[in-house]
Amino acid sequence: MTVNRIVWRLLPAAPPAVLLLAWSIYWAIEQPPPSVMPSVVGVIATFGELALGDRLGADILASLGRLLGGAACGIVTGTIAGFVAGLHRPIAAFLTPLVVFFNAISGIVWLPLVIGWFGVGSALAIFLIWNSVFFIVFQNTVLGVQLVPEVLEYGVRTLGASRWESIRSVTLPGALPYILTGIRSGLGFGWRALIAAELVGATTGLGQLIFSGAEYHRADIIVAGCLIIGAIAMAMDRWLLLPIERRTVQRWGLIAPDRSR
Amino acid sequence: MRLLRELRILLPFIVLIALWWAIKVGAQVSDTMLVAPPAVWDAFVHLVTHGILAEYAASSLYLIGVAALISFGIGVPLGFAVGANRYAARALEPFLRFFQGISGIAWLPLAILWFGFTHTTTLVIVIYTLVVPIVFNTMVGVRAIPENYVLALQSLGAGRLRIVRDVYLPGALPSIVVGTRLGMGYGWRALIASEMLVRQGGLGDLIFGARTFNQIDRIMVGMIAIGCLYIVVDRLLVQPVESMTLARWGLLRQ
Amino acid sequence: MATDKIAVSGFRHVFQTEAGPVQATGTIDLTIQPGEFVTLVGPSGCGKTTLLKAIAGFIQPSEGTILCDGKPIKGPGRDRGVVFQELAILPWRTVRRNIGHGLEIAGASKAERDKTVARLIDLMSLTGFEDRYPHELSGGMKQRVAVARTWAADPEIILMDEPFAAVDAMTRLTLQEELARLCAATGKTVFFITHSVEEAIFLADRVLVMTRRPGTIKAELAVPRRNAGGRDWDSFTADPEMRDIAEKVMHLVHAERV
Ligand SMILES: Nc1ncnc2c1ncn2[C@@H]1O[C@H](COP(=O)(O)OP(=O)(O)O)[C@@H](O)[C@H]1O
Ligand SMILES: [Mg+2]
Repeated sequence: MTVNRIVWRLLPAAPPAVLLLAWSIYWAIEQPPPSVMPSVVGVIATFGELALGDRLGADILASLGRLLGGAACGIVTGTIAGFVAGLHRPIAAFLTPLVVFFNAISGIVWLPLVIGWFGVGSALAIFLIWNSVFFIVFQNTVLGVQLVPEVLEYGVRTLGASRWESIRSVTLPGALPYILTGIRSGLGFGWRALIAAELVGATTGLGQLIFSGAEYHRADIIVAGCLIIGAIAMAMDRWLLLPIERRTVQRWGLIAPDRSR
Repeated sequence: MRLLRELRILLPFIVLIALWWAIKVGAQVSDTMLVAPPAVWDAFVHLVTHGILAEYAASSLYLIGVAALISFGIGVPLGFAVGANRYAARALEPFLRFFQGISGIAWLPLAILWFGFTHTTTLVIVIYTLVVPIVFNTMVGVRAIPENYVLALQSLGAGRLRIVRDVYLPGALPSIVVGTRLGMGYGWRALIASEMLVRQGGLGDLIFGARTFNQIDRIMVGMIAIGCLYIVVDRLLVQPVESMTLARWGLLRQ
Repeated sequence: MATDKIAVSGFRHVFQTEAGPVQATGTIDLTIQPGEFVTLVGPSGCGKTTLLKAIAGFIQPSEGTILCDGKPIKGPGRDRGVVFQELAILPWRTVRRNIGHGLEIAGASKAERDKTVARLIDLMSLTGFEDRYPHELSGGMKQRVAVARTWAADPEIILMDEPFAAVDAMTRLTLQEELARLCAATGKTVFFITHSVEEAIFLADRVLVMTRRPGTIKAELAVPRRNAGGRDWDSFTADPEMRDIAEKVMHLVHAERV
């Protein structure tokens, strides 16, 4: 029974352990050139090397700064525009076809065009992230606002609330689960767009770290870089998005539309 | 009535094109930044009549199609296996979440080292990108099926295969659709990005190659083609499934 | 002993959870005879569902044995049909295909399936809804489909776990009468769990009363059959002996209030 609990606790460590083991065994048998397939030890050494150098910190900061800038722009503009459209059906009807289309080409597809507008650097990455986040947040906000039951609004209006007051106290919290879902998936797309943009359209950032690994035939840097990317994404989800969702959605007894992405 | 509805969809685009043209002319934007709508039309006609657009689009569609088939073949059974067993689910959920955070495109440099500048590289990246959300959402879908559905079938004498076919598959379908849609969203972008770097054909190659020669008109044709194809694929793939099944079963709540 | 349809002896169940063991039931002994309708009443959380799931074969008891026709239960099987409190009919199958599901699994021919389904649709007043999906039906109708599905598979024993708890009070009366008629017509052995005293007595040949958690069986009362066609509420409520039994059971149950 206590054994059961220990096994249960340790289970999540099993797949990474299996992966590391398989990787080590493969490496020991095949002895591939480290430039193409690094060893586990090699990658760990590279982590150390990266952590001690000053490049990694700067790259992480550059990437996170771009993500923050682009996502903040995307969330603010997307939510505001989504609210306006959600509250006015003709506007939503007019914008929907455009949003569907631009959502389909959001992110990296813009790179060849806008690299001519912004040049290589942060502005390019921020634009691509904004573009990835905006349309998803917009669509989800419109949906959320439109799905808030009218009775709830009537309820506070009959209590004497103004239209503005009813939007603040009913529509906003009612639409929030959807907005948060939009933000979550928007960030998923934004994070991907960022890494892709940095591969070719930047001189710093985690994407460039990986790209430089490819240029110098350092597979160990690529693997280490990818693992750092995964760790940052997971940390953001755990310590940023999940707590926000808990604080708001669960406290108000609202059901999050979907936690699967 | 029909005409009116179609006009309603087209009108926003007409307004947008007018705006774009006005900016181009009014602000005297140079041709290396933005071209006027007629130039894009000319480029479109050129690319279509020379069969270039069809060739590049076919390459992209072929790769995404193959990748989707393989990802489905791997992802759905794996999702069932993991979802049906709470130990497997407990073990694999954080693992999958972690890898979902590493976009396929981040592995592209490594894939190029391994497989060179080939379609294989692109295919591997797109499959990786598609598989993770499909496995993950299939698993979530199976876990969301009420246990009673399975128990009831067992007491009717159903075996494992029967339960997979009659309960897991239809029960997890909404979630599988969500996963596929998300996977296609990520996968299509990974495909375009990979094509840009691998340069072996495909719409990503088309628009990235056009950049080298500052052919803004071609870039914009490519972007429009990418958007339209994605919408068509999404509508052809997802909407029929939704309307044929989920809506009829009353599972389409939100 | 050899003729017992179900024989539970020394049954006790403890769930092993991440937070530690949870004792779900006390020690329980009971037998059910062929063709008998036995109901079990008890406060919620006393372990009724756990006992039913053990008889159904979904869980292995921590202690004790459960025999069905003298043989130990190995797992779920076609000989023991289950109707759940929560709806367990499949939303992606029409009424007809849900009811015929057990026969489909057993590999029955289409003709045979259609015949059985038609008979049950008629018996359960579902005529006209054969090709509807569950979400197009009311709660009461969905539960009728669940009952019909179990009967269509023709098990020897039917286990029912508060099947009418989620149905509105008016519909419940109708469903209870229908179930009584169905049982009278088919002569199945039924083990029926409820927390409603009236329902327990109305349906039963024998009522078992459970204590609060961890539940044991504290009393059992026989309920005489009045006619061969199954009871109806009008004559049941007018029957003084039934009222006596109800009062006794009510008294026993009230002592277990939590
Ligand atoms: N799977 C389980 N794991 C842990 N505890 C359980 C489980 N199922 C039931 N229990 C506990 O066992 C007790 C009896 O449950 P149950 O048999 O469902 O009661 P009833 O059906 O009489 O309401 C309850 O306290 C319940 O919380
Ligand atoms: Mg219960």
